[in-house]
Amino acid sequence: MAKQGYGFVVLIGVILAVLTVIEYYMALWHFGAALLLLVAALKAILVIYFFMHVSRLWKTEEEH
Amino acid sequence: MAAITTGVHAVAAHHEAHDDYAVQLRRNRLGLWLFFISEAFLFGGLLATRFYLWGNTRAELDQTIGLVVTSVLLLSSVSMRLAETAMEKGNRQLFSIFILLTAFFGLVFLGGVVIFEWGLIPALYKGHLTPWGDKYGAVVFAMTGMHALHVVSGIVFIFIVWNLARKGHFSPARHWGVESCAIYWHYVDVVWIFFYPALYLIGNAVHLAH
Repeated sequence: MAKQGYGFVVLIGVILAVLTVIEYYMALWHFGAALLLLVAALKAILVIYFFMHVSRLWKTEEEH
Repeated sequence: MAAITTGVHAVAAHHEAHDDYAVQLRRNRLGLWLFFISEAFLFGGLLATRFYLWGNTRAELDQTIGLVVTSVLLLSSVSMRLAETAMEKGNRQLFSIFILLTAFFGLVFLGGVVIFEWGLIPALYKGHLTPWGDKYGAVVFAMTGMHALHVVSGIVFIFIVWNLARKGHFSPARHWGVESCAIYWHYVDVVWIFFYPALYLIGNAVHLAH
């Protein structure tokens, strides 16, 4: 994965915030547990992939 | 001839050191992720407990507080990633600002849970749940307590890394300490991403009079 710039990190943050608000309103409108956990899983995937660099586990070229 | 041989040996030694670091880095990353998997069983067990005991109900928690502390923790994850980006770019000043901001957000999150959910400072806010009161209080305190313990250790980790960076321990190319601290913090955030709907959003709120 190419190194992420500040703007990209903020963009992911905005997407996470929007998903959180969607989650909140979904609960107000009595969506089921499965859908709420689906949104949570989507947020978790974004954090795990873009913030936790899970893909670095099977890459060798990068240092840190 | 001797000079050429010495040069070749120096280059070989450099490559060997580089390879050693790369191998160690891969092992470090793998070890950290194995630790996360083991932790997932702990938090997964707590989530399973919530769904087993509460079913399609939930404790009547303050929705505003839930949304605010969740947003603060998400913000802390963003600032932590920005701190890591700053280190990757060699901007130590910006790194310090963002990592301290992350610790600040972590403390705000902790304050929100301790004051408003646990009601530990009744003068500020009187909580209505107790760990021993009923299944709602027990689950809320078990889940938020275990998570808060990880937030506290994450904040300690942040201050250690910040102090080491201040002393010049990391470089843009080599900063495993920063990376591991950041990944740990994001993991704490991922756990809350699942705890938030489980505690605040899923099921019908049950009014508890104590």
